[in-house]
Amino acid sequence: MDDRRTADAGSRPLIDLTAPPSTVAYLREAWRRREFAIVVPAQDLRAQNMDTALGQLWHLVNPALLVGVYFLIFGVVIDTRRGVDNFLAFLVVGVVLFHLTQRVVQEAAVSITQNLGLIRSIQFPRILLPAASVNGQTAAFVPALGLALVAVLATGERPSLRWLVLPGVLSAQFAFNFGAALLVARIGARMPDLRQILPHMFRLLFYASGVIFSVDAFVTSSAWRRAFALNPIYDIITAARWCLMGEPLDMWVLVGLLAWCALMPAAGFVVFHRSEQRLGA
Amino acid sequence: MTGDLADVTVRVQDAHVSYRVYEEPSKGLKQGFAQGRARRRYRTIRAVRGVTLDLHEHETLGLVGANGSGKTTLLSAMTGLLPLESGSIQGRSRPSLLGVSSALRPALSGRRNILVGGLALGFTRSEIERRMDEIIDFAGLRAAIDRPMRTYSSGMRARLRFAIATARIPEILLIDEALTVGDEEFRRRAAERIDEVCAAAGSVVLVTHNMAEVQRFCDRVAWLDEGRLRAVGEPDEVVEVYVAASASRPR
Repeated sequence: MDDRRTADAGSRPLIDLTAPPSTVAYLREAWRRREFAIVVPAQDLRAQNMDTALGQLWHLVNPALLVGVYFLIFGVVIDTRRGVDNFLAFLVVGVVLFHLTQRVVQEAAVSITQNLGLIRSIQFPRILLPAASVNGQTAAFVPALGLALVAVLATGERPSLRWLVLPGVLSAQFAFNFGAALLVARIGARMPDLRQILPHMFRLLFYASGVIFSVDAFVTSSAWRRAFALNPIYDIITAARWCLMGEPLDMWVLVGLLAWCALMPAAGFVVFHRSEQRLGA
Repeated sequence: MTGDLADVTVRVQDAHVSYRVYEEPSKGLKQGFAQGRARRRYRTIRAVRGVTLDLHEHETLGLVGANGSGKTTLLSAMTGLLPLESGSIQGRSRPSLLGVSSALRPALSGRRNILVGGLALGFTRSEIERRMDEIIDFAGLRAAIDRPMRTYSSGMRARLRFAIATARIPEILLIDEALTVGDEEFRRRAAERIDEVCAAAGSVVLVTHNMAEVQRFCDRVAWLDEGRLRAVGEPDEVVEVYVAASASRPR
């Protein structure tokens, strides 16, 4: 939208209204409109719990319950503590980070299909829709991350220099989540069935990411352990545990993490942007 | 059509727009199984079939036609929402379609919806906050602005939508909804906004089924029939032939 009108408007040339903008112009427009992807999901989060007794507190209570249930099942009923000294902290970090990615991806998968009305009536860079999913779900998980840090400290871990690396790990996770969100947003728009498939994929990933058990303690073959490094969520969780608890960090895990957080946003953008004109048609 | 470009704000030349829709198989489940899994059937709708039209400065164009004649599709193509199959659409700037309703959230208050809707339309947050009072007053919702939007009447919602979408006077404004949903006071304000657009050398396209609206707002009328322009001209003349044709057509 152009607000400025010059006095000699009559001499202005006509521009093609149907040609898609260049990628640079597209990204510039998306950046100019970035507040949409920040404010709108924040308003939606507010609206979500408005009619509940606890209201906005649910964003804290919900992850606390999540961690509590996992601790009850895997720390007490079925003992998977093997090889982990501080199992509660281990579990909390794993559960919280895993669910962050899961929530972002599942939300992004429906970000196009749930906004078809908007897509059909307003012209804007569609990347803002999956971006809003990423921002909204990430913001909703800030209390959970705080909770994780409290749990880590309460169970006897002490801050060290390694903690300074944590923001880097979380940024890598954000970058990965963003790329994955773009990818699933595109696939979910073409194939809404993805929404049904994703929970099962994540259940599988959950066990392949060492959320509730130490892969190092259960998997003895070093070749198999290396295969786990191909799993981006395992890389993220393992790196975060190294930061906060000094759990071992294999070099391949670090390589995997860096590769995923560099490649995923690029791949996601290419896939999303390439067929963007056809979204909503 | 004038060949002179000087006062043309939008130029549509031989525009064709088609889209595919998924057609639900009409047969029942049992029958469907008996015949095996039917392949997905898509039907191509040729919604706009060769429209050529110029919009001029200081002009409000009425777009009339039966349901399914391609009016909304043509507006969507003008905003770049639907790709053209062939032909071209050029303009001085990207037209704004008055279609903010899909961005609004019934659970949120009118005030928060002004923020959400404004951001969806490409305003910045500070821009919206600066114009907040003006928008509320224009919508005439001072008393109800902090109530959830779902408590609003349809007239109040229409006023809110119109107020948000025209908070910044666009150069080319496309209106695809009845303005008659509001009361006389609202219609008067809507007319003011349309006049403001025109006064600033802009153009307005108004899609409507209400002939009184056409007479009131429009300088020129285009009649779209099955994706083609049947007539373009003075409101009185075009409305007359359109109404006569609609009355005689079996529905």
